[in-house]
Amino acid sequence: MIPALGEFALWIALPIALWGCALAFLGGRWLRGDLILSAERSTYAVFGLLFVASAGLIVAFMGDRFDYWYVYNYSSTNLHPFFKFSGLWAGQRGSLLFWALNLSFFSVLAVWLNRRRNRELMPYANGVLLAVTSFFIIITLFVTPPFEQLGFTPSDGRGLNPQLQNYWMTIHPPTLYLGFTAFTVPFAFAIAALLSGRLDARWIEGTRRWVLTSWFFLTLGIIFGMRWAYEELGWGGYWFWDPVENASLLPWLVATAFVHSIMIQENRGMLKVWNMGLVVLTFLMTIFATFLTRSGLIESVHSFAQNLTIAWIFLGFLGVVGTLSLGLIFWRLPLLHSERQFESLLSREAAFLLNNLVLLGAAFAVTWGTMFPLITEGLIGSRVAVGPPFFNQVNIPIGLVLLALMGIGPVIAWRKASARNLKRNFLLPTALGLAVGTVLYVAGVRHHYAWLTFTIGTFVLTIIVIEFWKGTRARARIEAENHFTAFIHLVRRNRRRWGGYIVHVGVVIMFMGFAGSAFDREARESLIPGESMSIVSAFGHEYTLTYQGLSTHQDPNMWRVIALMSIQRDGVEVGTMTTERQMVVAPPQPITEVGIRSTLFEDLYVILSTLDEQVGMGNEPQHQRATFQVLVNPLVPWIWYGGLIVAAGTLVALWPGAGVPTRIPAPGAGSGTAPGAERRREEASRPERAADPAAPVG
Amino acid sequence: MTVLLLAGLLATVVVAYVLHPVVAGRWAPMEREVDELTEAQHRKRVALLALRDVEYDYHAGKLDDADYRKQKSQLSLEALTALDEEAGEWRTRFDASAHELGEREERARREEVEAEIAALRASIREGTVCTQCATPNPLESRYCGECGSALPGRERARRGT
Repeated sequence: MIPALGEFALWIALPIALWGCALAFLGGRWLRGDLILSAERSTYAVFGLLFVASAGLIVAFMGDRFDYWYVYNYSSTNLHPFFKFSGLWAGQRGSLLFWALNLSFFSVLAVWLNRRRNRELMPYANGVLLAVTSFFIIITLFVTPPFEQLGFTPSDGRGLNPQLQNYWMTIHPPTLYLGFTAFTVPFAFAIAALLSGRLDARWIEGTRRWVLTSWFFLTLGIIFGMRWAYEELGWGGYWFWDPVENASLLPWLVATAFVHSIMIQENRGMLKVWNMGLVVLTFLMTIFATFLTRSGLIESVHSFAQNLTIAWIFLGFLGVVGTLSLGLIFWRLPLLHSERQFESLLSREAAFLLNNLVLLGAAFAVTWGTMFPLITEGLIGSRVAVGPPFFNQVNIPIGLVLLALMGIGPVIAWRKASARNLKRNFLLPTALGLAVGTVLYVAGVRHHYAWLTFTIGTFVLTIIVIEFWKGTRARARIEAENHFTAFIHLVRRNRRRWGGYIVHVGVVIMFMGFAGSAFDREARESLIPGESMSIVSAFGHEYTLTYQGLSTHQDPNMWRVIALMSIQRDGVEVGTMTTERQMVVAPPQPITEVGIRSTLFEDLYVILSTLDEQVGMGNEPQHQRATFQVLVNPLVPWIWYGGLIVAAGTLVALWPGAGVPTRIPAPGAGSGTAPGAERRREEASRPERAADPAAPVG
Repeated sequence: MTVLLLAGLLATVVVAYVLHPVVAGRWAPMEREVDELTEAQHRKRVALLALRDVEYDYHAGKLDDADYRKQKSQLSLEALTALDEEAGEWRTRFDASAHELGEREERARREEVEAEIAALRASIREGTVCTQCATPNPLESRYCGECGSALPGRERARRGT
């Protein structure tokens, strides 16, 4: 009954969303509060209805309702309830409903948080949000109906793709979807600003947290996806430049550009048209990413090959949204003129602009490489795919330029920096970077890109540490605080700046983790129990793996063969590891479960590659012959630690109540955020006391 | 049948909820919140942020004295201009709402806002911007390097007020 009710709810949601969309625009145009309120209620109602619809689908999964096409194709009776629940986003049909639900959730948040704010913008913003939601509901209802029935009830379902039967399945897709959908809110605000003509920086102020929220989830989603690939795909890597991986990277690249360029608009009143373009482009990229993931247009390990009707619908939607948005920007060009000009190439503005150009260059290269099979099919009639070598060749240099800019940007002042000041700020970081580079060269590091990554990374980390040190020291001196308290207060005073620096630290550490892949070591041997194999890591540690034997295990949905290895590191016993081959029952497919042993600097990664045909015939060693592929991946753990630091830094920048001065930071007076006039007057009469080292200390 | 009834009930409730404002003539708030920034307030805030950055950059050694003075002067003037606009906005707002407030309350509010604006203005002037010629001066200056006028903030500080 509940699945059927869910289907009805989906049908009711469509007219309500369309009604709300129309009323929102009309209400904004005619300044009719009753229409606007009705539209806002439509947003709340649509969320409720999509929630019921999604709940209906989940209940269908949990109740093994194989009479539904979607449940039949993505579940089976012996599937763990955990994965039945995540069936909602396991395939195209459910995931588009899930997209609509996420977007609807964020729409409700945006409307509710702005129920008394940004009132000139909200009707239009709500209209845009409901229009996008309507698009997804229409697709869900008419093209990819999740509640379509087979007309009969099979005894069992076809099961979930075994590679999706991993706990990351319940975490990675929703996180990425939250990132995709959250960006619709800044897009809606941008369009609302264009429609209403209220194009001052307030719309950016209103959406800054939304942009960071979206960026936060996109970043986490991508990192979770890498971790999933590393654990589950069993080839020793975490990124394969797969079309769907690329799809998640595209909006991230453009959103990252936007996160930086909005600062130029806020601080300098520049790049207004550029920022509008970036918001629209990021939104289009989120739709494009969804389209690539769910259309089956380009084959990938995420392939959910589907009919191509949906591809054309998505392309049409992208075309319409892109054209309308560009038309609106063109219409409002007179209101989007820059308040200032670039004064110098040696300025933070110029560094940010270069950062933007580089990020967009990367986005273009990734798009080109991803779409290349389609382009060649159109031109020469056959698909030619470009692989990781193309993407690495293009993106590694781009990444290194970005890395360097992360160090240069914060040190260069706004507007204009003199060569003397640059020399003063760059001398120590450059010297330290080169010192580390020299040490690495002497130690035998000859891989150019890796060497550059560590050298530039050290340069950037030094700059950030100096920035923190200078700020903390100044604050400790002025406020007579101990250094730890001063550090905490420093970050709290300007969370955006310092949160951003923390993010940069995380990114540098991640880049160093990526560079570690240049020093991977690999060995492959066929062993019988009692035999050993050895491998020496890039750090010089010798691992000896002794094959102890096989065991088998029967789970409800799979048959597992588990190999046990004992591990010695530099001759010292450090424990045991297991690695598995699994044969999933529904759908029948073998998968690998790798064994990973992590330390701070490297991962020992063991894959049970092949099993002798006679496995299971007996307990004799000769019947348990197996081939093992062993890798030692240096610095891979740094990717995950770096990711955690990036997430923490983003949260710092996002956290409400970031210090923003409401009074001028006069010399010796500091910049306060005092809520009341009394306190401000009191502070103004104490010019000798500075509350923030960002204020003068002289 | 039960499903149809429930679906019908759901549709009825939703439609009634959505249509109610139109039928009953209930309006969403259309006005700005009092604490929501106006355009002038926003410009002032941006200028303050930029000033904070300039101060930080200067003391972090990223700006020369000459560049610092030039930028500080420019941004201080921008902040003062935005402050004037904000004061104008406040006056308009008080004029518009004068009939709603009692005379005493109106005067008290006006005074509070004006005192706040004066304090902000003072905090600029206590800084390095000369009130006579708008030339910025080094932090430790007692007198303007351009016109020789005493810097008001420094004088007051010397007097110990």
